[in-house]
Amino acid sequence: MISRALTESVLTCAMSTGADFVELYGEITRNNAIAMVDGKIDRVSDNLVSGVGIRAFLGTRTVFASTSDMSREGLLKCAASVAAAMGELKKDVSVVLNERMFPNIHPAKVIPTSVDAKVRADLLRTACFAAKEYDEAISQVSGSLAGVDHTILVANTEGLYTTDRHVRTRIAVSSVASKDGETQSGSDAPGAGMGLEFFDIVDPAAVGREASRQAMVNLRASYCPAGTMMVAIENGFGGVIFHEACGHSLEATSVAIGASQMAGKLGQQIANPKVTAIDDGTIPGAWGSVNIDDEGTPTQRNVLIENGILKGYLIDRLGSRRMGMPMTGSGRRQSYTYEATSRMTNTFIANGPDKNEDIIASMENGLYCRKMGGGSVNPLTGAFNFSVTEGYLVKNGKICEPVRGASLIGTGSEILQNIDMVGQNLERAQGMCGSASGSVPTDVGQPLIRVSTITVGGR
Amino acid sequence: MRFEEMKQALIRAAEQAGLKEYEIYYQMDESVSAETLKDEISSFSSSVGGGVNFRCIVDGKMGYASGELMTEEAMEELVSKAISNARCIDNDDEVFIFAGSPAYAKLPERKVELTDANTVRDLALQLQRDTYAQSEKVGDGTQSVALSSVVEIVLYNSNGLSLSNRAGISAAYAAPVCRDGEEAQENFEVGVGATYEELKDLPGKAVQGALDKFGATLVDSGKYDVVFDGSQFRSFLSAFSSAFSAKSAQLGLSRLAGKEGEVIAAPCVTVVDDPMREGSPMQTNFDGEGVATAKKNVIENGVLKTLLYDLTTAKKGGVESTGNAQRGYSSPVVIAPYNFGIQAGSDSREDLFAAIGNGIFINQCKGFHAGANSVTGDFSIESAGFMIRDGKRAEPIKSFTVAGNFFELLKQIDRLGNEIHWGIPGGFTVFGSPDVLVRNASIAGK
Repeated sequence: MISRALTESVLTCAMSTGADFVELYGEITRNNAIAMVDGKIDRVSDNLVSGVGIRAFLGTRTVFASTSDMSREGLLKCAASVAAAMGELKKDVSVVLNERMFPNIHPAKVIPTSVDAKVRADLLRTACFAAKEYDEAISQVSGSLAGVDHTILVANTEGLYTTDRHVRTRIAVSSVASKDGETQSGSDAPGAGMGLEFFDIVDPAAVGREASRQAMVNLRASYCPAGTMMVAIENGFGGVIFHEACGHSLEATSVAIGASQMAGKLGQQIANPKVTAIDDGTIPGAWGSVNIDDEGTPTQRNVLIENGILKGYLIDRLGSRRMGMPMTGSGRRQSYTYEATSRMTNTFIANGPDKNEDIIASMENGLYCRKMGGGSVNPLTGAFNFSVTEGYLVKNGKICEPVRGASLIGTGSEILQNIDMVGQNLERAQGMCGSASGSVPTDVGQPLIRVSTITVGGR
Repeated sequence: MRFEEMKQALIRAAEQAGLKEYEIYYQMDESVSAETLKDEISSFSSSVGGGVNFRCIVDGKMGYASGELMTEEAMEELVSKAISNARCIDNDDEVFIFAGSPAYAKLPERKVELTDANTVRDLALQLQRDTYAQSEKVGDGTQSVALSSVVEIVLYNSNGLSLSNRAGISAAYAAPVCRDGEEAQENFEVGVGATYEELKDLPGKAVQGALDKFGATLVDSGKYDVVFDGSQFRSFLSAFSSAFSAKSAQLGLSRLAGKEGEVIAAPCVTVVDDPMREGSPMQTNFDGEGVATAKKNVIENGVLKTLLYDLTTAKKGGVESTGNAQRGYSSPVVIAPYNFGIQAGSDSREDLFAAIGNGIFINQCKGFHAGANSVTGDFSIESAGFMIRDGKRAEPIKSFTVAGNFFELLKQIDRLGNEIHWGIPGGFTVFGSPDVLVRNASIAGK
């Protein structure tokens, strides 16, 4: 992408005015997307993202510049702007880079961009047609198939010069069901850090049917009642509760500056003893996995909470400097135009001691959330929200009629203590997480859990 | 590679491939920002970047390809990718490379320039100092940020159209973290402007907003009359704006399909879409397809006057494009509004409080990306605010949801505040709303 010699010159230039550390992040990303709606392929597009971000540190002060001009002239201009913003000091520096390769634990067999768009379009057709055929009440289906082929170069003045390549594939189907003037929707969007071989393990037709199944359930659902209730949250995307209620508050981005409810709580009991939570960027082929983070640190398995006790944070390079703690392979960014910050990878609550059937049977009155949508959180106060996309009332230990339109809200510190039963069917699901460094792919996950009390936003 | 060279390379490749109709959309962005922590600039960043989008018609289908790499070879690849992408399309809707509108409005005189780095730094530092000076409770985690960005757009096509625009925005925000004993609260105030003079009220407002949240309690679940702060209600417009897209309507993905000419909102509601709103930093006189943009009433006294159209949906619907095709260089054309705002009424906020007597003032709503379903209109949104007692703002309340259906909400609007609160533009799109009084909203608290 950029030669070692040129990278050395660029880093030397950026370092020349007093910075104590400089890194260069280069990127060439091929995105391709196919969209289908109304039974027809509607959009096919390719987009190439290419550019460089250069960041200099002086203690915990940073200067960052990015450019899409990857010519020698463009890179040196970008480096010079970093140097100019860092200070006026003149310093003799010499940067020597040693090339290294990290092991690839997420190999891709079929790179999406290397396959004819017509072949990819057929996969999407299969999914969308299956969704449409699911029931005659399915009035509209839209879907997309996206591939990302992401090559990065990370170099820094500690001598690192390395590249990594990462491929992702995701299919999404959204179904609308209409009957007697009522309209409801459902969706499914699995993905992986894999090439098109992803479809050896995921049947596109099953994705389409799942989206339509949810739309049909919601079509016969009435509005969810409002108030505080006992709630059971199913595995997979249910794990968004941990992602929002706790995960973001463990990111150095907010912890290091004292803007997190979890700052200063290491070693304390912050959750019910049944809760163990992990962030693991090393799961082979997982959606949120990468070999190295965007600062060149290999990803690792970070135990965040063990039996309810806070064990660790998610720490990027700047966070490491601010907190005086080691980096955890958590520095991530959407693209070269963002500075890397601490982010989650694949984050989940581990299996617990309770049998799933006991969890439902234990509930006299409550809500069973089978599918969840996205959410958001304020890391300072821990106030979070997320939506229920498929829910059922539970009465006397039995799952009863479906309800719709609900969201769950609460405060992280309270909810973590209220997770009082943890089941044994851990499963992960895929999402895009948006934060300071843009939108990055993350997995959320958990087994079935019970929350003793939470506010259900219905009507 | 400069724009002119890039354009010539694309034209060469397109002609060589035998293309008759094609279009080049070029965008270049430049930005600077400074972020503070405690009493110093913790981060300064600048960026220069952009790309080009090439689209072409092959056998009646439109193919797209885009990229940021400006080399001759990359331009050839864009053309060949766009052609092969067009060949995969099976949507039969008619597509257009537009030859141009008869006339384009003249954009108001305005200064579009990137604020220089030192001014941005000084502004962020001054706002940070002012924020700390507001109260002893302001502490660690408090940040002030100033930023400026400029975008340049060129649209060129094989039917003789050549248009360009330059727009930019400077803005700042103050985000104090306040502590009182064990309790921490934060707030966020953002404003448009490049000078301290324009933004000097931010720190005071931001800190007062944070202090007002201390001691918030939970509210009983039930039905309440509510007043929404316009700065929050505009998020509803944003979350449900796709319902106004003719494409959504034609695909059966909008409850506004077939409702043009019908009453869809209370009589007091008029919604205007204005691509050249006075005072707006992001203005354009042509859309992503080169169609002249114009101001129009989307809802007039409760009646849906028009949906938002691009050329393809207009042809299908037998109407004219409203000039609402929008695009960035990295994505195909989508239909979106410009300055999309509910027009102000005549009541002050105090009048609205007095009008409901007892109820809730909602001044914080979040999680729209999850809690709002644009197809069905259903929403359930995390909120915070204040009780209204005896017509006056009373104690703060937190952690409740307001739930309902957007299309019913439009009809439930009873009165409107006398000032429109505009947001910060995303591209050329920005939403605005006055304070809104709604009767009988569903609130879930304790």
